[in-house]
Amino acid sequence: MNEFVTQFVIESRELVEQATAGLLILEQAPNDAEQLDSVFRAFHTLKGGAGIVEFAAMERAVHGAEEILSGARTGKRALTTALVGECLACLDQVVQWLDVVEQTGEFPSSAAKPEAGENWLADMLERNAGVRARAATALQFIPDADCFYQGEDPLARITALPELLALDVQPLVAWPSLDSFDPFKCNLVLTALTAASMSEVTAHMHGHSGTCETRTISPLEIAPQDLALPSQARDILDAQRALLNYATPGNFIGFVASAGLTAANVLRSCARLEAAAIVAQATEKSLIENSTEPLRNCLSQLFSPKPAVDTETTRGSGRPEAATQTLRIDARRVDALVRLTGELTVAKNAAGHVAKLAQEEGNALAGVLKDRQVILDRLIAELQESVLGMRVLPLRSVLQRFPRVVREMSLNLGKPLTLEIEGDNTEADKAIVEMLFEPLLHIVRNAVDHGIEPPAERAARGKPSTARIGLRAARQADQVIVEISDDGGGIDVARVREVAQARGVATDEELRQMAEPDIIDLVFAAGFSTAAKVTELSGRGVGMDAVRTAVERVGGRVSIESRAGLGATVRFSLPFSVMMTQVMTVEAGGQMFGVPLDAIVETVSVPKTAIVGIGAAHAMALRNRTVPVVDLAAVLGLREAMSGEADATIVVTSVAGHFGGLRVDRIGQRLEVILKPLDGLLTGMPGITGTTLLGDGRVLLVLDIGELLQ
Amino acid sequence: MTIKLSAAGNVELTGICSSDEGEILLQHLLATPNIMVDWRGCEAAHTAVIQVLMATRPKLLGPPASVLLEKWVQPVLAATMDK
Repeated sequence: MNEFVTQFVIESRELVEQATAGLLILEQAPNDAEQLDSVFRAFHTLKGGAGIVEFAAMERAVHGAEEILSGARTGKRALTTALVGECLACLDQVVQWLDVVEQTGEFPSSAAKPEAGENWLADMLERNAGVRARAATALQFIPDADCFYQGEDPLARITALPELLALDVQPLVAWPSLDSFDPFKCNLVLTALTAASMSEVTAHMHGHSGTCETRTISPLEIAPQDLALPSQARDILDAQRALLNYATPGNFIGFVASAGLTAANVLRSCARLEAAAIVAQATEKSLIENSTEPLRNCLSQLFSPKPAVDTETTRGSGRPEAATQTLRIDARRVDALVRLTGELTVAKNAAGHVAKLAQEEGNALAGVLKDRQVILDRLIAELQESVLGMRVLPLRSVLQRFPRVVREMSLNLGKPLTLEIEGDNTEADKAIVEMLFEPLLHIVRNAVDHGIEPPAERAARGKPSTARIGLRAARQADQVIVEISDDGGGIDVARVREVAQARGVATDEELRQMAEPDIIDLVFAAGFSTAAKVTELSGRGVGMDAVRTAVERVGGRVSIESRAGLGATVRFSLPFSVMMTQVMTVEAGGQMFGVPLDAIVETVSVPKTAIVGIGAAHAMALRNRTVPVVDLAAVLGLREAMSGEADATIVVTSVAGHFGGLRVDRIGQRLEVILKPLDGLLTGMPGITGTTLLGDGRVLLVLDIGELLQ
Repeated sequence: MTIKLSAAGNVELTGICSSDEGEILLQHLLATPNIMVDWRGCEAAHTAVIQVLMATRPKLLGPPASVLLEKWVQPVLAATMDK
């Protein structure tokens, strides 16, 4: 990928983030001119970037959204939830394209189709609101460039569409300069709205050359935020709806016209201008079709319980613009630095050993060497700390993805939600930040899906209809705490008990002895899922046990607290920095163990005869030094000492200046792992310094060489 | 020939303008910058001709003779001029 494109991808991603955050704020506060400007600028810059790298499809898509925002800026149109949704959809498409560009270094070929990602339909309806009520079908026609040679006249074909209501013609790509303009090449996108049905339109367009997309236009919909009306207004509207039931052929026109007019006036007086316009159109449609249906349906929409979306991000007042002095560094370079620092530690340890040898031999330089060694030790420790500090990221990058996620969940499940994010400046190691999204998402999904009650039930329990989801992050000593709380129904302990029993997660006897918190903790057990109904959101077979595994893998803990009827809080306690330990895996007695790499001097293969018994122990000579040898499998009690065979594989280790040899069956690979100290029953077990999870989920015991060789 | 220079110094579209006349119209417009296009006599125009008008955005003298052109094509051209 060339440098320009790389830069383009990085910058575009930042702009998408900026625009997304801004749009979500705008959805709540459509009059925030500063936010609107910021979002508009982000879209504008995105478009500019796409232009520079000549990514025409993205340029067009972003241009569409920019037009909407431009309209909002000049006050020509209000920024409704639907329009914000369109802009967000546009950004989603951009992100998808960026992913493809990043992976392949090429601009996605699917994007060559100009209609991809563009929401031409919404745009067209927006611009032709006057005919919205009558429109039944929309189409976008992009004739082939050489269609003129085939005797095609696209414009004539479209203007001859039955019951054409609106027409828009745009250049497919921006007009070239006139001297290079080819009048024989068709460069148009024709978009039309018609009252004719889909089948009529399809029949009319039969035999065209080019791409033609037709869509059925759904009946009028009133934007969800227009639904919250004062009760008196609702009463009047309801009365108009009732009035329609009494319309007879004789009084039809009078009834419909007066009901429609009254309803529109009520909406206008509540400043619901868009809804009022829609009602007026429905009235007109009712009069034309001689049926009360359109107006009745339209009024009914005002009473349908659609959720109001209430997503909120905490916004630092006057957050300074990103003028901080930061450098963009490829994460791989930082990782390389971390690795090198690790190597340096190993080298430092070796140097320490040399200093000790010099001292033993009474070398004159021993004292100086020792002094230098101490300084080196301190410097390398500092270096390691600052290098690991480079991997620290704010949790914002994860948490800021949630307002969108929650917004969608709220719409999909019909549960109004507020999201409160706190402490998104809290920092943690990159590895922690990166692994956090999936488990958090799972918990949030569970909370929304199972925790939060449907609005009706909430009302019955005397709770506010808008539920609250809280995401809090904070630093506590060397831990990072992330909490996900909800004010839903809490965890149903009786149900957990029932399910645990039914699924064999715990026996009757065990359950009887468990305290309530222990029972609640069972939701993290493998094979447990309380979802009575599998929904799109959760219950996809990945249980809470996956969450616990993911968190424990980086050395964290998960706990849950629930109060019946008041909600639940899931708490992740994560280590602030993840110390990566390099280990080498070895096999002994059919099991795999890890040996810390900084304890290993070398690995050798020696003939069996080189190992001789000295009293009860064994030793071998290695480069004029006697090295005690321990059979790893035997010392761990896995089997009797080995005998027979020709060669023995020995891992030569050095801990605090003492050499030792571990006899193993086989040597595995080098791994970088996160070492987790032993806890629970294993605490204080000799010979084991910690455990780590392997990629395949197996537990790797990492040996404490010093203790083993004692 | 349905596209020609008029006595008033405008480009005049009359009758039914076919697809190959887009080229002729373009030549006229390139030859004389800021020339007006009089399409009051135009009864129908092929997409190719309209496309030239969209790309070059000359001042138009209308309305055209055809109702279809006046109702659908004129607003499209007017929208182009606004940009």
